[in-house]
Amino acid sequence: MAQKTTVVRAGAPRPGPDDIPPPARRAGRGLSPKAIPYALIVPGLLVIAVLTFYPLYQVVTMAFQKVGLAQVRPVNPQPAEFVGWDNFQQIFENPLFWSTLRNTVVFAAAAVALTLVLGTLVGILLNQLGKVMSTLVVIGLMLAWGMPRTAVAAVWKWMFDPDAGVVNATLNALPDWLTGTLLGRADWTGYPWFNDVLPIYIVLTAMVVWQSVPFIAVSVLAGLKSVPGDLHEAARLDGAGAWSIFWRITFPLLRPIFTVLLVLSVIWDFKVFDQLYILIRTLNRDAANLSIYAYAEAFSAPPRMGTGAAIAIVLTVILLVITVFYVRQIVKQEELR
Amino acid sequence: MRIWKLAAAAAALTLSLAACGSGGGAAPPPPAGGGTGPTSFAGQTITVWRLGDPAAVNEKYMTDLNAKFKEQTGADVKVEWIAWPDAQAKWTAAITAGSGPDVTEIGNDQVAAWVGQGALADITDMVGSAPELKQIPENLWGYETIENKVYAVPWGGGTRAVLYRKDWFQELNIQVPKTWDELVTAAKTIIAAKGSDVDGFAFNGGADSNMSLSPFVWGAGGDFAVNNGGKWTGKLTEPGFKEGFQFYTDLVAKHGVSRRSALTQNAEEISTRFQNNLVGMYVTGAWDLDGIKERSNGKIGDAQIGFFSIPNKDGNGVAPAFQGGNDIAVWGDSQKKEVAQAYVQLAAGKEFGTRYAKDNGLLPNYPDALAAYASDPVNAAFAQTFSVAKGFPADPQWAEANETKAVLQNAERAVIEGKKTVDQALADANAELETILNSQ
Repeated sequence: MAQKTTVVRAGAPRPGPDDIPPPARRAGRGLSPKAIPYALIVPGLLVIAVLTFYPLYQVVTMAFQKVGLAQVRPVNPQPAEFVGWDNFQQIFENPLFWSTLRNTVVFAAAAVALTLVLGTLVGILLNQLGKVMSTLVVIGLMLAWGMPRTAVAAVWKWMFDPDAGVVNATLNALPDWLTGTLLGRADWTGYPWFNDVLPIYIVLTAMVVWQSVPFIAVSVLAGLKSVPGDLHEAARLDGAGAWSIFWRITFPLLRPIFTVLLVLSVIWDFKVFDQLYILIRTLNRDAANLSIYAYAEAFSAPPRMGTGAAIAIVLTVILLVITVFYVRQIVKQEELR
Repeated sequence: MRIWKLAAAAAALTLSLAACGSGGGAAPPPPAGGGTGPTSFAGQTITVWRLGDPAAVNEKYMTDLNAKFKEQTGADVKVEWIAWPDAQAKWTAAITAGSGPDVTEIGNDQVAAWVGQGALADITDMVGSAPELKQIPENLWGYETIENKVYAVPWGGGTRAVLYRKDWFQELNIQVPKTWDELVTAAKTIIAAKGSDVDGFAFNGGADSNMSLSPFVWGAGGDFAVNNGGKWTGKLTEPGFKEGFQFYTDLVAKHGVSRRSALTQNAEEISTRFQNNLVGMYVTGAWDLDGIKERSNGKIGDAQIGFFSIPNKDGNGVAPAFQGGNDIAVWGDSQKKEVAQAYVQLAAGKEFGTRYAKDNGLLPNYPDALAAYASDPVNAAFAQTFSVAKGFPADPQWAEANETKAVLQNAERAVIEGKKTVDQALADANAELETILNSQ
């Protein structure tokens, strides 16, 4: 009896896992355990909302409105008129949109392919080099990567200057038969790099690839370091050459890295603006890409920010489609494993 | 959105407070009464945007003008210099941020577009009650008057002529060209003597290209577009325009008197090359002369460079050039409009208006001052052209065709690079010009 009461007494205050403590917790802190994770991400979400969602919402709204200076001025702003799909219709009917879209897509395809191939090769090279040489190469890569894009564009524009540029001078200094057979042109004096669409994009592609390769190379290097060395050794013992080792072992193992790099490169190269703007401003419209076109519509006199926003949305949607496609690919591969 | 609304509300509040301050609160200084007579604005400071080059002569002008304004009204003036090609971007930024000047200089052909954006203040009352400003002839207020309201005051009239290397002409024994053929011959002679990296007659394909193209199409009897009852009809495919356009593109394509590698250079870039002995002739306004003289530190002066009127094709007189001119206006968002109006009245008045024109190589708007100008040797080229000067289509959308879409610059490039025939390029450009001018 006595023993029993003691047991009961002793048992009563003992914290039972199911009944007593939860109400006590609720009463004390006012947050259910389910709500805590959400509460923790609220500050982050707020920052993202202010910095990303709000501008995004603004752009989407503007794309369906007629917005000029009179609407955005802080002093006595006029209400923006809702115009439905008019902005989009105007864009799609304008041949400029289609030529800028073509420029954007072709450039992105070329730049992404070149960046990935060269970046991978440099990454593999880094993996093979000894300590001193690889440090040197990495320093060189980081310098190219770290330079501000506008400064790079200004320097490249200078190098390709028709009259005083080092590129034309070098091409001229090479023997005529060499440049003549390789490039179909022996006399490079005053060759205009910035008149025609193709030469402009050759310069732009070289410039963008030059600056994007470091990131790819370093990422590939990081991936290569994680590949177990004995796999390569085993393959070599089986008589595989470098080419088949890469395609049969390295590439499949690094596939997730390549997919991410591909998506990132596509996004970056679709959105190129500053470099092209410095090369040609907005005047040579044949060579404009979607970003330049959106900028010219939105900010050149008379500013039509609604149309500019609509172009920006078209660009975003294209990128979203591509990204979603590749992200799905990644997820599928994960499921296969 | 809320932030903007708050900002707008705050701005509106400040405005109404400012209005109270000047209207009811301050009794001692009598109301401006439409801007006539000296009024005290002591302690206030206004910001003035001057466009162009702060050359010594212009700095001196502003110092004198601001000293006089201080003496008259007690107000201080802060001057900011802005390059002409940057002006549109600066105005756009000023409106977007709500932080513009109180007074701005503006090209007369730009007034309509910027009134359309609400950038300039209505100053009809001030102009109507200023006796001096009323002396400016009626026909010179065309660009400034929109729907019977005045938004700017003509400051100096101007046009375009050819700036050329006088010393090279003497050295190579070239006469001032009187026909298009002579112009080309002169340019070729210069290139033969000075090297192939020199532009004998520089082709302008930049933002201000139409200033350079227009004398040739107008001289051949063509025009850009005409307005019939509110609807624009493009004239680019007509024979006169075609002839002038053909000649202008032939400068590069056929005669090679301007480098093929520089099809998008604007007047400023050409001016820099001109100063560096790399250009023989180009179309520009009178202000370039002083700017180049000053930047060259005395190495280039009146003995080396000068102006001549752009000739007509067959030598029968001078070709019409762009009838330009600079205005001075009160900024629409200014919170010191009374001070600003008083400043505009003084700056564009007879004394400082005439001096502004003189210092900038422009033509004065006051008839008696202009009459004295005709005998001036330096300005003769401009006075001669000014009598036949013409304007671009007076429509707020012209800026779109002229600069943003660069319709004719792209047509020129297509022809020079052999991608389109002149007929095809002009037909395409004409359709596009009509669409732009007739859109709202």
